[in-house]
Amino acid sequence: MSSLALFLLVVALAALGWLMARARATAFRRGGSAPRAHSLPSYHGWYVALWTAVPALIFIAVWTPLSANLVMDEVMSAPAAASLPPFEMQRVAILREAREIAEGIRPGGFHPESNALAPAYADALSRTRTMGAVVALLLAFAGGAFAFTRVSPHFRARTRVERLVMAALLGASTIAILTTLGIIASLLFESARFFSLVDPLEFLFGTHWSPQIAIRADQAGASGGFGAIPLFWGTIFIGAIIAMLVAIPLGLMSAIYLTQYARPAVRRWMKPLLEMLAGVPTVVYGYFAALTVAPAVRDFGKAIGIASATSESALAAGLVMGIMIIPFVSSMADDSINAVPQAMRDGSLAMGATTSETIRRVIVPAALPGVVGGVLLAVSRAIGETMIVVMAAGLAANLTANPFASVTTVTTQIVQLLTGDQEFDSAKTLAAFALGLVLFVVTLLLNIVALRVVKKYREAYE
Amino acid sequence: MRRRIRRRYAAERRFRLLGLGAILLSAAFLAFLLVTMVSNGLGGFRQTEIRVDIDFAANTLSAASAGGEIEAAVAAAAEAQYGPGGARALSDTAWLRVERAIEDDPSILARKKALWLPAASAIDGAAKGDGDGEAEALVTRLEQDDAIRTGFNTDFLTGADATDPAAVGIWGAFKGSLLTMLVTLAIAFPVGVLSAVYLEEYAPRNRWTDMIEVSINNLAAVPSIIFGLLGLAVFLNTFHLPRSAPLVGGLTLALMTMPVIVIAGRNAIKSVPPSIRDAALGIGASKVQVVFHHVLPLALPGILTGTIIGMARALGETAPLLMIGMRAFIATPPDGITSPASVLPVQIFLWSDEVSRGFVEKTSAAIIVLLAFLLAMNGLAIFLRNKFERRW
Amino acid sequence: MNSMTDTVAATPLRNDAAAKMTAREVSVFYGAKKAVDSVSIDISQDNVTAFIGPSGCGKSTFLRTLNRMNDTIANARVEGQIVLDGEDIYAPAMDVVQLRARVGMVFQKPNPFPKSIYENVAYGPRIHGLADGRAQMDEIVERSLKRAGLWEEVKDRLQDSGTALSGGQQQRLCIARAIAVDPEVILMDEPCSALDPIATARIEELIHELRGRYAIVIVTHNMQQAARVSQRTAFFHLGSLVEYGETSEIFTNPRVERTKDYITGRYG
Repeated sequence: MSSLALFLLVVALAALGWLMARARATAFRRGGSAPRAHSLPSYHGWYVALWTAVPALIFIAVWTPLSANLVMDEVMSAPAAASLPPFEMQRVAILREAREIAEGIRPGGFHPESNALAPAYADALSRTRTMGAVVALLLAFAGGAFAFTRVSPHFRARTRVERLVMAALLGASTIAILTTLGIIASLLFESARFFSLVDPLEFLFGTHWSPQIAIRADQAGASGGFGAIPLFWGTIFIGAIIAMLVAIPLGLMSAIYLTQYARPAVRRWMKPLLEMLAGVPTVVYGYFAALTVAPAVRDFGKAIGIASATSESALAAGLVMGIMIIPFVSSMADDSINAVPQAMRDGSLAMGATTSETIRRVIVPAALPGVVGGVLLAVSRAIGETMIVVMAAGLAANLTANPFASVTTVTTQIVQLLTGDQEFDSAKTLAAFALGLVLFVVTLLLNIVALRVVKKYREAYE
Repeated sequence: MRRRIRRRYAAERRFRLLGLGAILLSAAFLAFLLVTMVSNGLGGFRQTEIRVDIDFAANTLSAASAGGEIEAAVAAAAEAQYGPGGARALSDTAWLRVERAIEDDPSILARKKALWLPAASAIDGAAKGDGDGEAEALVTRLEQDDAIRTGFNTDFLTGADATDPAAVGIWGAFKGSLLTMLVTLAIAFPVGVLSAVYLEEYAPRNRWTDMIEVSINNLAAVPSIIFGLLGLAVFLNTFHLPRSAPLVGGLTLALMTMPVIVIAGRNAIKSVPPSIRDAALGIGASKVQVVFHHVLPLALPGILTGTIIGMARALGETAPLLMIGMRAFIATPPDGITSPASVLPVQIFLWSDEVSRGFVEKTSAAIIVLLAFLLAMNGLAIFLRNKFERRW
Repeated sequence: MNSMTDTVAATPLRNDAAAKMTAREVSVFYGAKKAVDSVSIDISQDNVTAFIGPSGCGKSTFLRTLNRMNDTIANARVEGQIVLDGEDIYAPAMDVVQLRARVGMVFQKPNPFPKSIYENVAYGPRIHGLADGRAQMDEIVERSLKRAGLWEEVKDRLQDSGTALSGGQQQRLCIARAIAVDPEVILMDEPCSALDPIATARIEELIHELRGRYAIVIVTHNMQQAARVSQRTAFFHLGSLVEYGETSEIFTNPRVERTKDYITGRYG
């Protein structure tokens, strides 16, 4: 019996249990033995249904992957398995074929070995499946019967069912913690393996990045190839410098105009329009940068006499990233400016200051902490951004401040290291996790600091 | 004094114009981006076809003929009709259409029949005004014969990835996106809503709850590529789930989307006034009944709006999917959540990397499809918000 | 310092033959703050009992302990004993949901569910399984709306939203909703404070009609209202029960100085 059929059968049993328990509880009510029974009949139904389904389904969920291993063990110990070729890929192909023959998906195999293995496979499959089905159904029956005997007028079925609902709620909310732990654990674990191959100091402070060398079999230590400083510089150069030079003035001035000058109708239309910039997928920005902006930047660089201008310049990627970041900066600035008390503004205006003087001398300084917090959030967003730099920035790990030259970033390198053909255990792929760890820690710190700053600022005006 | 005031007013005007300029510049960037994509991409929805007269009777084709035979017959017919190089004017997959024509109507095997077949990428480009001299010359010749036409590109909307830009389609990636989003929704929505309910309605103030809250707020700010690393390390290398499948992509994106739904859900639940809870409790509803009968239905529009926005973000996400191997060349639409698939943004990324000129318009066309999809989702979210938003 | 303000005088009417609920030494804490201090009181079955006192005196807090609505407040803690028909309502075996079906509550601000009028009334009977089938539910809804004096006004628009009614109608709908689960006691927490005088009069009239069928406890800061609707009055001040007795007694001849000061409007 396949897992799906078993699943459906268990669900059907649970439904049956639901109906029976409900009928029984209804009979109690009608019989008048419980004028004010604790729980509605349907709760008795749910109680029985849950006892029928939950243990059995948990068993199926555990058994399904487990049984695959059991089947494999059994098949491998069959005499026909002795003739399997040692080469991994062929083996896998043959085993898959044998499985398909055993399940009747295909009539015969391309490899003769798979035909020989098929009977053993079919045997093992049917044995484990029968075993799983029997245990699951036994569990379902036992659970259902146990629950059914407890259905009585004074049994508090609703409380029990609600307790399970609460457990489910708690379970759902722990997934967030599990995810966080999963991220931290996988980054730390893989990074630890990487740092057993490469000196952490070398990684953090080295200036030579050429991970390609390290996969050569004769170069065990990968000495000198994993200095990540050029990557860090490239990331800061694009994300924290060029992008911010675009996004801060444009975002801040947009927010000032929208909050202080624009008529409500203009504001109502322009704000969503700005937010649309944040809704455009990053891959579209990346394509835009590579297709349109990068050649224009290169031509401009050439025109002003910079011979080294390339079409994978830091400037092109940074410009486009800056455009993407504008709405983040402007909406944070918008919030901070709105939080400045009206009284401050009135005080300045009443002294005869013009609106722009009030904005520059009073509002912006007062809103500054909020704006700074917003900028930090925007930086954190920019340095974690991947697609724009993958598509528009280069791969060359240059340590240069020339915006027309090519630099590479942490995220670009992560993508570069983990795509294409690689073995998972090489220093090259592990380096991606070390870079990921650095990125995670830095963005986390930026966020924490930014939220602190913003929160302190809010409290100051409340 | 007066001069000073005049100067101050001038500064005021300049400042104001500066602000307006910033907004208009931002809007202009958006407009420029959209116009670039649309003007590049519209051509992708049109397809150039060439008429080829195939004398089926003269060939030894039958209904059971293998693809290779048909291909050869088509090539021969094209060469015969348009001279040497005629076969290269047709797309690599032109013979597929011939095969379909035979399937539809086997009687043509006994006749001579003129079929419209998709042109090769170079010809397609030339017909749309962007080709080299040789291709343009051929197009001019074909135009004189009335043997070339440009029509709506149904192949693009129904096909999958291919090596020939004239033959690529978006349906494979679109379907992959749909399946991936389905997995994401199936996981992130219930988990997100239940977490939001727990945190907002039941969670006791203690260290564990604080940890959950901190986790969720941090997850919302973690760069998406980190989720890709998580997916790679956990789903692929630990649980050995299939590479580049919608299942793994959906799981990864679900972890990313869940915090968005939790945060939106909590705000929506918070906005349901406490008097409703009191009312239900006061007539003897249990806490679970209060939430599931009253609070959740009232919070649902807000939760759905947040969910759609989170899903829209997941739909446009590329980097985490590259990490879990979703960058393979997949020439057939996926038929389940465990078969290899591509998704729209990854398809865009892959095509953008192609050197062949024909891919430029296809990439942009795919971007148009993606943006249209996103626009529809956001429109739905705005509609929901306006229709069901309740002021208490 | 007046010798009349002694606590002995505030001893509740004990051994009331018709006591529906009895509270003994009930204190309520919000965190470390004591909101209600050792209150003992008997709630009679046949009378309307009014709780009066200046705002913040703990009367509403005490009212909410009677059907355990304070359970929903995270740091609230109740000490002492409250008994409903011989059952300790804070005993572990007591199911709070069933308790609230027996002791219903009407709140300060009308809070109908944003659903139809019919659904507002039918919700309680439905979750408690009081109706078998549609016909019986219709009957319960009609009876409850009639008892709440709302039937004539809404019988033709039962499917309209409950929130579309006027304030007074909404409050009567909330009373109908409380009645629909067939409670034994109805607690009303300043039910007229958000209503205009005409709607208030209508509610007071309704309280008169309901008297006898349900034990009714009403919290009010309006002394005229307490005098009009109740037979028993309890005066709360600074978290304690100062005086409890026949309404006529309390208003004409209070035994405690503080009560007199409050009633004559010297503070509050």
